[in-house]
Amino acid sequence: MSVAGTRPLPVVPAARSARRSRLSPRTANALTAALLFVALPLMTVHAMPKLLQQHDYLNLDVGVSLAVAALSLNLLLGYAGQISLGHAGLLAAGAFASGIATSRWHLSMVLGFLFAVVISAALALVVGLPALRLRGLYLAIVTVIFGLVMQYSVLRADVFSGGSAGVALPRRLWGDHVSTDNAGYLVAVLLLLLAVWLLDDNVVRTRVGRALRTIRENESVAQSFGIDVVRYKLLAFVLSGALAGLAGAMYGHAIGFVNNESPFNFNLSLQLVIIVIVGGLGHRLAVIIAALFFWVLPSFISGLHAWAYVVGALLLMVTVSQHPDGIADLLTRRRRPPAPAEDEDDELPELPQLPVPVRSHVAAPLSSAVPVLEVEEVVVRFGGLHAVDGATLAVNAGQIVGLIGPNGAGKSTLFNAVSGLVAIERGRIRYRGQEIHQLRSDQRARLGIARSFQQVGLAKDLSVRENFLLAQHQLAAYGDLEALLMLPRAARQEREFRDRTEAAIDALGFGPLADVPVRHLSGGQQRIAEIACLLMTAPDLVMLDEPSAGMAPAAAENLAARLRDLRDVLGRTVLLIEHNVPLVLDTCDHVYVLDAGRLIAAGTPREVAADQRVIDAYFGAAVPA
Amino acid sequence: MQPIVLGVIAGSIYALIALGIVLVYKGSRVLNFAQAEVGTLSLYATWWVSTKHHQPWALGALASIVAAVGIGLLFERLVIRRMMTAPRVTVAVATIGLFSLMLAIELALFAGTIYTLPAPIAGGGVQVAGVFVSASQWLALGVVIAVALALAAFLRYTDFGLAVQASADDPVAAQLMGTPRGLISAFTWGVAGALSAVAVLLIEPTVGVLAPGAFSGLFIGGLTAALVGGLSSLPGAFVGGLLVGIAEAEVKAHLVLASVPSVQTTAMLVIVLAVLLLRPQGVLGRRA
Repeated sequence: MSVAGTRPLPVVPAARSARRSRLSPRTANALTAALLFVALPLMTVHAMPKLLQQHDYLNLDVGVSLAVAALSLNLLLGYAGQISLGHAGLLAAGAFASGIATSRWHLSMVLGFLFAVVISAALALVVGLPALRLRGLYLAIVTVIFGLVMQYSVLRADVFSGGSAGVALPRRLWGDHVSTDNAGYLVAVLLLLLAVWLLDDNVVRTRVGRALRTIRENESVAQSFGIDVVRYKLLAFVLSGALAGLAGAMYGHAIGFVNNESPFNFNLSLQLVIIVIVGGLGHRLAVIIAALFFWVLPSFISGLHAWAYVVGALLLMVTVSQHPDGIADLLTRRRRPPAPAEDEDDELPELPQLPVPVRSHVAAPLSSAVPVLEVEEVVVRFGGLHAVDGATLAVNAGQIVGLIGPNGAGKSTLFNAVSGLVAIERGRIRYRGQEIHQLRSDQRARLGIARSFQQVGLAKDLSVRENFLLAQHQLAAYGDLEALLMLPRAARQEREFRDRTEAAIDALGFGPLADVPVRHLSGGQQRIAEIACLLMTAPDLVMLDEPSAGMAPAAAENLAARLRDLRDVLGRTVLLIEHNVPLVLDTCDHVYVLDAGRLIAAGTPREVAADQRVIDAYFGAAVPA
Repeated sequence: MQPIVLGVIAGSIYALIALGIVLVYKGSRVLNFAQAEVGTLSLYATWWVSTKHHQPWALGALASIVAAVGIGLLFERLVIRRMMTAPRVTVAVATIGLFSLMLAIELALFAGTIYTLPAPIAGGGVQVAGVFVSASQWLALGVVIAVALALAAFLRYTDFGLAVQASADDPVAAQLMGTPRGLISAFTWGVAGALSAVAVLLIEPTVGVLAPGAFSGLFIGGLTAALVGGLSSLPGAFVGGLLVGIAEAEVKAHLVLASVPSVQTTAMLVIVLAVLLLRPQGVLGRRA
């Protein structure tokens, strides 16, 4: 049996050639965006030169700037599910930074924009790092205070903002060339909007966007796919901060002057949240339209401002309470109707021979002498309860090893300890001879340990196709910056990921269901999709937590054949938690029995099934008469 | 000494806001961004009763508390109850909606005019450690201590109070034991409304004027206090309130930077970042 990483199969050619023959969706998207945001508005404006005055252009300039601000928050709130209530502070930082660069240092506006981006991104890094290390809504807490600090302290400090005198933001092209033409500036801001749109598009189309959306839904699942959760949350906030800084500078150069009475207050932060949620629902184009609607329209129709805010706040509450499953769910439901319920569920498709990816890490050759996984005297405690109490076991290469025991025996906790979701108090865990219990969960995943979850460890708001792409996260050799700019290496690898995904979809027969959110699939389909995801990265050790749970009996029977495929055809090592005893007897080479956190028996399935202690653990010890 | 006396008085008000934040957080794992604004909007009820219709301050205060409890219960019934299983981010956004709505109503109805309230109690104050502590401030201190003790006693010694605590630890188990989750949720939101109204009523004489968003600083202090206490500990919130109040007063007293206004807000940000970096489980919390 050959070993993972040594058998590169050709990438399925059909999928690739079909893709090559037409315009790539990315190019099409870029052309559409260019037409929509630049060509169309400019043609309209120039076709009717008499219609718009200079101050109307100014309103449009401001509106486009604030659309970029809304896009920046959408990236954080819509994709990564993190709230910032201090975005006005980041916009302010950008505006003042660009003002100082262009008016005091006499730099070009282009450099001013760059300076704004750098300053706001740096601020976001400092504010975001302490908050995003932790799970929970800490970013919201920190940013609400950050926004007020900017509003009441920093913007009023003479040294930064010139106090009430403020800072001028000349539209300095170069040297002493300063433009005052609002219509000309509209071209500039529309081009910047287009650039931000394309950047946002790159986020969505690469592993960055998939990582963010998975984190929004379930951080543990994200980690099991090898995603460094803290890093990506921070990346989202820093990127959002950078774009907010750009938006602030765009706004400042539109108005030409900012001071401490500028609109960079808490209300602006709130309005951005309202726009992203009420208007946008995480959808890029809707966010832009909502931003223009909320800002440009009231500036053309006076008297709308005071009550627009009341209506906006009401709409925010209604929107979230009417769609309690979250904004993302609303979006997926709207775009993709649920598939018809599949009753025919018992036939599980064969696990495909996927093209084996070139792994990013170099796996040492497996020798049968060293067990793939060794768990030694491991203790996990929750408060006073010893969930795992000194368990020791070893998993040899090329075997299916069962882990059984009554409910509450500590089986899933042991899985969590091995995959790094809970910390161990004592003991050692070695993977291929290397101690791993100090590593983060995502780092262990990248070493080649893949696991499933009892409740199916997929991003359930994402489609099967997106999950298959997500599963290849750790294979990406491109950096996140390459992804944002869609440099050739990122584009090439994304194409490979798509080809491998299409191959898996075809092989598993998921074709008609490929774009349905995973939560609408049947239990058996979800389970097969999950196992296929685990195989995407060709892991050495596959840990399955009750794969037969929620399956129809016939499908569960069918699962045994699939598990043997894993071992015999695909050459994986499997550690299996299962309550379905016939399945265990049928497939496992070796079985460990856990009860109350301790190992009570081990051996071949037959030996274990005959063991009196095991029978006692499951059925209760017989009371001596 | 002076800053400590002033800090304890301000801090006790922060503690009230923090108690409301923590109670709701324990009851439904929701971070309530409207905790101070509920009381601010309700304070216009006091103005309506006590200033416009010349009734005693206490009657106006009661009107404000009733209004705040009403807002809390209504919001819980119409919004929170529908979102029991929703992601917590989404629920937090709903409370941001409540905050925005109340601020928007204040701006739409009451902006531009100066509203004042009568003093809670007549009479002078007493010098303590060189600080003049007014009658209103004594009242504030007394009320905060009484309210905190009453809340603690209620949660510890009544069946319903114990059910609220149990629900915070394990909602499903508490429900199986026969305490309706909806009732507990309604209780926490109602009490949080009352706490908000009391806090704003007590701080108002120090601020002296009623204006849209006038007490948003109170929310920042309360939020910081709750975080210092670890977000889910009521005693921690109380201690956090006092600590934040004293820290703020010390900063005000010793760190007057002419070039940087409102240094105390910056101090709050520093406290929050430091707590998150060094002790996210709070001053009284144990590491999980």
